[in-house]
Amino acid sequence: MKRIINKASILTIIFLAFTLVSSAQINKKKKANEDTENWRYEIECVGIGKPGTKVVKVWSYSKKATIAINQAKKNAVHGIIFQGYSGGAQGCTSQKPLASDPALEQQKAEFFENFFADEGKFMKFVSTSGDATPEPMKVGKEYKVGVVVTVMSDNLRKDLEAAGIIKGLSSGF
Amino acid sequence: MKKIFIVGSLLLMGVSLSFGQAKKPTLMVVPSDVWCNTNGYMMEFDDQGTKVKIPDYKKAMQENADILLVISSINEMMAERGFPLKNLESAMKSLASNSAEDNMMASKGSGSGLSESPIDALKKTAKADIIIQMTWTVNTTGPKKSITFILQGLDSYTDKQIAGASGTGAPSFSAETPVLLKEAVTAHIDNFAAALQTHFDDMFANGREVIIKIQKWDDFDGDLETEFEGNELGSIIEEWMGANTQSGRFSTTDMTENMALFEQVRIPLYNAAGKASDARDFAKGLSKFLKEPPYSIPNKLVMKGLGRATIILGGK
Repeated sequence: MKRIINKASILTIIFLAFTLVSSAQINKKKKANEDTENWRYEIECVGIGKPGTKVVKVWSYSKKATIAINQAKKNAVHGIIFQGYSGGAQGCTSQKPLASDPALEQQKAEFFENFFADEGKFMKFVSTSGDATPEPMKVGKEYKVGVVVTVMSDNLRKDLEAAGIIKGLSSGF
Repeated sequence: MKKIFIVGSLLLMGVSLSFGQAKKPTLMVVPSDVWCNTNGYMMEFDDQGTKVKIPDYKKAMQENADILLVISSINEMMAERGFPLKNLESAMKSLASNSAEDNMMASKGSGSGLSESPIDALKKTAKADIIIQMTWTVNTTGPKKSITFILQGLDSYTDKQIAGASGTGAPSFSAETPVLLKEAVTAHIDNFAAALQTHFDDMFANGREVIIKIQKWDDFDGDLETEFEGNELGSIIEEWMGANTQSGRFSTTDMTENMALFEQVRIPLYNAAGKASDARDFAKGLSKFLKEPPYSIPNKLVMKGLGRATIILGGK
């Protein structure tokens, strides 16, 4: 009987620990998503990619480095749509955001909620650069991680145009 | 009943289509005068004692592969955005072949040729509503090479720069000029397209910007200072412009007894009938207004593309 109680206690403790860990992970993930929505990331150009793509380094924040790395793709697409970036080294020129209206994210909130959901459609338009390793930096209690990603900006633009989110050059003619 | 429904649907479709489509401007990429001059693609002729240099696009197209690469890359990227451009080389070839055809054309019945006034002949040039002017220079510092690239979108009628993108690429030891050029186009085209989009957005919101000019024939017995019920003709035209432009937006740049020039004239994209409008369509309204009593001034309307129209008072 005592053995059974011991086993049950151990199982309960393992279950509780697992729940706590996964809940903490979910909270951190939620925090990372909030950071994206609040534009708490930095985006910089690292070079001229192939036509139709943008190669950028995204700096994301999280208490857990892996979450910041995973959030990089979402932040990169978010940045290309809403923020753009300034020029830099390697012949980079500043780029304007795809959305010319800063209030677009609020106006089309439902679309972007689905678009930026975890494993959402944004994943179609971004890939991490194979040869670039993430650069984690400890900033206070959290990590700031820089990841180089490639955003298929032309495909992203076409998709947003087709969905009627942004206007194409020929719309209205 | 079915027939009525079908006819009704077709009518509705027609109305919605005519409201939905504004007149699309044409765009064409041309090398700038600076580029042509630097690379030796200029023609020189004597204009009554003054030496005048003009760019020789034909020679540039036939001899310089880099320019073909740049034009083709820009054309490709704009076509991919749903906005195919007029190709300079093709436009020049069409002009030449059309001109040859026109010269050979004869009426089957009378054998008469096509009529062409000197102004018709003058208008036979490669043209577009928006000219994308490009310039690049190859900078060399020791073994390193970089490209400074400039793209300017120029409105052919208002002479305003409506879009632009420029910058210098990263210096390279090994990359060849065509590679650097392709990279420069890739780096700048998005910003250029974004600026063009801003221009189109402004056009849809505030109307098309055009130029309207009023002139008079020598033998017209009146002028812009002729009074009708105490008002000078020039002021009457200004009043008409104020009433018919989008939000009354226009500037009177020049007004003499012989001519008036109205710039920054914002015209609605669609006329009262819901059809897409341009400078000529807008000026037709003014032309008709002047032909009617109490003014009864016969006039001639001359157009230049989507954005410029001239009314000449006193006859056709």
